[in-house]
Amino acid sequence: MQRRDLFKLVGLSIIASASLLSPISLEASSVSSTSGKDVVIVGGGFGGLSVAKALKKADKSINVTVLEKREIFMSCPYSNTYLGGMQGVTFEQLTHDYYAPAAKYGYNFVQCEVIGIDREAKVVKTTTGDFGYNVLVLAPGIAYDYTKQFPSWDAQKISLVSRECPSALMPGSEHLALKRQLDNMNDGNIVIVPPQKGKFRCPPAPFERTSMLASYMKQKKIKGKVIVLDTSDGTFAKNKAFMETWSDLYPNIVEYHGKAPIVDVDVKNKTITYKENEVDVTIKYEVCNLMPYNKVSPVIGMAGLQTTKNGFVAMNSTGFQSKTDPNVYVVGDCVGHGVPASGQTAIWSGKRASLQIVAQLNNSTFDVKSGLPAQAANVCYSMVNTNPAEAIMVQHEFVADADTGNINAVPNVPKPADGSGKFRSKGTGKLTTEWYNGVKRELFS
Amino acid sequence: MERRNFLQIIGGIGTIAVFPSLIPTRLFAENGQMFVGYGKVKLVDALGKPLLAGKLKKETAYIFNYPFVGTPSMLIDLGTATQKDVTLKSEAGDEYVWKGGIGKESSIVAYSAICAHQLTHPNPKESFIKYFKKGEKTVSCSQDKVIVCSSHMSSYDPASGCKNLGGDAREPLASIVLEHDIKTDELYAVAVVGVGKFVDYFDAFGDEMEQYYKGKREAKAEVSVQTKTVELKKYSKEVIGY
Repeated sequence: MQRRDLFKLVGLSIIASASLLSPISLEASSVSSTSGKDVVIVGGGFGGLSVAKALKKADKSINVTVLEKREIFMSCPYSNTYLGGMQGVTFEQLTHDYYAPAAKYGYNFVQCEVIGIDREAKVVKTTTGDFGYNVLVLAPGIAYDYTKQFPSWDAQKISLVSRECPSALMPGSEHLALKRQLDNMNDGNIVIVPPQKGKFRCPPAPFERTSMLASYMKQKKIKGKVIVLDTSDGTFAKNKAFMETWSDLYPNIVEYHGKAPIVDVDVKNKTITYKENEVDVTIKYEVCNLMPYNKVSPVIGMAGLQTTKNGFVAMNSTGFQSKTDPNVYVVGDCVGHGVPASGQTAIWSGKRASLQIVAQLNNSTFDVKSGLPAQAANVCYSMVNTNPAEAIMVQHEFVADADTGNINAVPNVPKPADGSGKFRSKGTGKLTTEWYNGVKRELFS
Repeated sequence: MERRNFLQIIGGIGTIAVFPSLIPTRLFAENGQMFVGYGKVKLVDALGKPLLAGKLKKETAYIFNYPFVGTPSMLIDLGTATQKDVTLKSEAGDEYVWKGGIGKESSIVAYSAICAHQLTHPNPKESFIKYFKKGEKTVSCSQDKVIVCSSHMSSYDPASGCKNLGGDAREPLASIVLEHDIKTDELYAVAVVGVGKFVDYFDAFGDEMEQYYKGKREAKAEVSVQTKTVELKKYSKEVIGY
């Protein structure tokens, strides 16, 4: 059999039809290496791509393969500006092909879906074939957990609600569907339901979206409200900054309800029922954006990794090695560290994980406590107004937590020194756009 | 000519010590391009008159384009003497020695104003890079007298070669090697030490090069003879920093 017909990794022969593989994979002869330095990364989001690039930059002899189920990259960060119709923001700006960075940085990209992980044999099984590894990096992101949130709903109801009330926390059709609904909406209410329990992707996202859609209604002169049905008592991410903005800019549009758990959604009649002060309240909506509970991707379960009490992956000390297996690393939204699940955190964790992986593959050591505390390890902007573009921000210092032994985040929501006394500013709006442009430069150009 | 601003590069086979102005064109350390000597360029003010070290406003960021027409660099008189002989490391692990500030007080420094993280830089419209002077607070790190790129909150210490203090940047800002003529008090830029990021910068900002420099090819031309040096707040219409 000819070499091009095989996909051979780390002594394992498999093993996929060449016609199924991307051009990048085919031209990457390194995938057949048996150098003992093969890294397979599951997930092509901010974290996974950061690991891939950082590994190749640090050590070109490492064979890096990214396995990703999506055809194109799409960013969740900054996508609320698209939903809010901010001038100059297009869907295309949120997307990128995977081939360009793979070619530029020298890693392999394979579009496929993971169907199993055999940690003993060090093999990832996918719809395209099996991939052997020396080090496995899991960066698969989140999944939704409608079943846990709505145990009485059957699969058909979940399917219907997820389609009609798109969550848009995972990139792709959900964003396009929600945008289409917004573009077509009549006067009436937009209901936003943030994840009502547990850790979730991008904690300020539902509230940035609230601001963006309120701005959209204001700009388009749509008569109605943006109603937030939350279960917190108002202590959500950047709450003071969001509340100040809503009070200043959208006093008759944003209506925030804390401690308001969802009871049911009737997509046929476009109503949603929630509890408030122990009483069921039913309201009509024109557009409903229901973000269900988040959980880790099923890929984590396939690997059989130990999880924390809240369902995220138990991490070894302050590094990104899983507690279960020193050859399996986790970055991005699935980590059990006490850090926000943001794009910037995913990038930071990806780069940091790569340092440890390079050391491991070269029989060296990496002090996982080095560089901690890390000042401004995470910075997260939220656009709150589209015209003019204004934003707020939070930055986190990452520290070694003496109680958990893991990394914890210390937040700070500053006000700009522009004399306004407000959290939001046009300057921060510009920084938001530059943050996103910089991230794209980092991953793709 | 002041001689303390010579340069050391630590490489695999020993230490090289050079006076930048004595390098005719380019010098490559054995570990790559940690040092590149460019043409000796005089820093001048907006009227074309030589910028005098003694006339610089203390703790005020100035911008001059160097080593290329389209690459902004930042000049600051920190007001106090910098550290000396600071060993710095690039993201790739290459080490080099930053010798310290120049001028009467050893307080004048210059760095590429292209962020080592994701290439954010000042342009005539706006700057997200700013120098935070003594007593001015930034959320990026706990100290003052720092250069901060606020788009991703990377902060650098200009008194120690712009080593990283906070944020996601993994290497210092590239340092612009200056010479100070003691007799005339004039300042010259002669070289770049560290990781310049210029190739990535030109790749990423083609539109901007077109907008401000008539094109990428024009922006990529090396600066020669002299370069205009103006305060950052005049170079960019808006300076934004946290």
